[in-house]
Amino acid sequence: MATFFGEVVAAPSRAGGDDDEEAAAEREETPEDREIRRELEEKREVHILWSSKLSASTGSFTDEQFPCSKFILAIGHNAVAFLSSFVLNSGCWEAIGSVKLWNEWCRTSNTTSVLPTDAFCLFYKLISDPTVLLCQCNCYVAEDQQFQWLEKVFGCMREEDLQVTILSTCPVTDYKTPESTLTLPSPFLKALKTKEFKESVCCPLLEQPNIVQGLPAAVMSYCQVWQIPAVLYQCYTDVIKLDTVTIEAFKPVLSSKNLKSLVKDMSKSTEILKKLVTTNEIHNNIYT
Amino acid sequence: RVSRPEQQVRGAGASPARRRRSMAARYDRAITVFSPDGHLFQVEYAQEAVKKGSTAVGIRGLDIVVLGVERKSVAKLQEERTVRKICALDDHVCMAFAGLTADARIIINRARVECQSHKLTVEDPVTVEYITRYIASLKQRYTQSNGRRPFGISALIVGFDDDGSPRLYQTDPSGTYHSWKANVIGRNAKTVREFLEKNYTEEAIATDKEAIKLAIRALLEVVQSGGKNIELAIIRRNQPLQIFSAKDIESQVAEIEKEKEDSEKKKKKSI
Repeated sequence: MATFFGEVVAAPSRAGGDDDEEAAAEREETPEDREIRRELEEKREVHILWSSKLSASTGSFTDEQFPCSKFILAIGHNAVAFLSSFVLNSGCWEAIGSVKLWNEWCRTSNTTSVLPTDAFCLFYKLISDPTVLLCQCNCYVAEDQQFQWLEKVFGCMREEDLQVTILSTCPVTDYKTPESTLTLPSPFLKALKTKEFKESVCCPLLEQPNIVQGLPAAVMSYCQVWQIPAVLYQCYTDVIKLDTVTIEAFKPVLSSKNLKSLVKDMSKSTEILKKLVTTNEIHNNIYT
Repeated sequence: RVSRPEQQVRGAGASPARRRRSMAARYDRAITVFSPDGHLFQVEYAQEAVKKGSTAVGIRGLDIVVLGVERKSVAKLQEERTVRKICALDDHVCMAFAGLTADARIIINRARVECQSHKLTVEDPVTVEYITRYIASLKQRYTQSNGRRPFGISALIVGFDDDGSPRLYQTDPSGTYHSWKANVIGRNAKTVREFLEKNYTEEAIATDKEAIKLAIRALLEVVQSGGKNIELAIIRRNQPLQIFSAKDIESQVAEIEKEKEDSEKKKKKSI
């Protein structure tokens, strides 16, 4: 296919004719190809490492499922920083596990004390109520790894009475609206919920034709299919790095039923937030 | 079509941005190409680059023009003086910018040369509108030639003309320019502009001091950690550019906060 610049672009063809020859070539796969493919799949496998404390406290082995009534998931560094400053510091949480995965954009670190700029995926449990689980996911989970991630994470939970809350961010330029993006009051919050989620949401619902992509979409699809009540709060922002204005845009979520009971002491939150943002400020001199 | 396992693995390696098959993806590489619905995407994307710069506000008073900017925090080992958002173009004209630092440096150098060239040729200093038009034409030329990209900056140009009238102009990456009574560019521009629309009144700019206070109040709406991150410059009629020291700004901020407290106390009393 030639475009009107005269360049030739290979277009995917719906004609079945070509495939026969190619498919035949495929079937003659050498053992070396198989070995390479197997190694690649092994490399991209998602591993969840639960700490031994978990099995000790719930009295079960890691193979068995533990009861979970609330699962709060933060995806992306702004959502992660929001939970760190407003939820994790007002209550006693214990780190109980982490996810180890590898893909072309991220290699998760193994330690549990991480900076917001590292790539990590950590699980925390509320000490006063062990059925409340919180996950901070600051690594990029590739499409072929999302299904594995879901299966392994949700596979460990007993899903009766489970309520899922997801927080994530998205660039405002992806928001489709008849108005110009220059006039949008960013950052702003939009919500998406599954059929089983009956409670009220703390912000307007996401309008058509906007769609959600990536790990938040994978979790919502899983919850919809398995009829788990779940709500996603997506913050559309024009700053992609760690930013206090974006993080504070998540505040309405604190009034939701799931999170209200978890936030007891907000007095230190602004201090912790400032500290998080200033220690991780990368001095970017490109823009002034 | 039989899906090949390698494709699955390789497909996952494609960047998330590339997978989005929007119309923009085909028309946004070349600057000189319009999209079917009339957009020049590169120019629009350049306006996004402007939003990454810190806030700059310009106010036109009666006998004074004020430029206030949010100063970015510098790294510990970096010299503060080398990060300047407000620059003089001539004795009677200065500008503040938001966006790509390097692009701004090029534009400022060209504008300064043009100011002197004009003075030598016609023996008159440039009018603010002339130098704004020069900068805007320069920006426009870069939206229409092949192999170049638009300048990723918006500029606020202030000064006094020979006849003594104060001027404030704003240019953007597309090369358009407009005259304003007060305007703001950069991050959080929308919030500050709404503040200015509400608070730019005859009384607010009646005196020089009030105009300066208005600029600082506008910046305080969005600048975190108050006065020490604000830089202010003014030009009074027939006087050169004057940049405020940190101490002067702190004292102004303290005055503004006191005024705010007093007005809140009055409100409480009246209730």
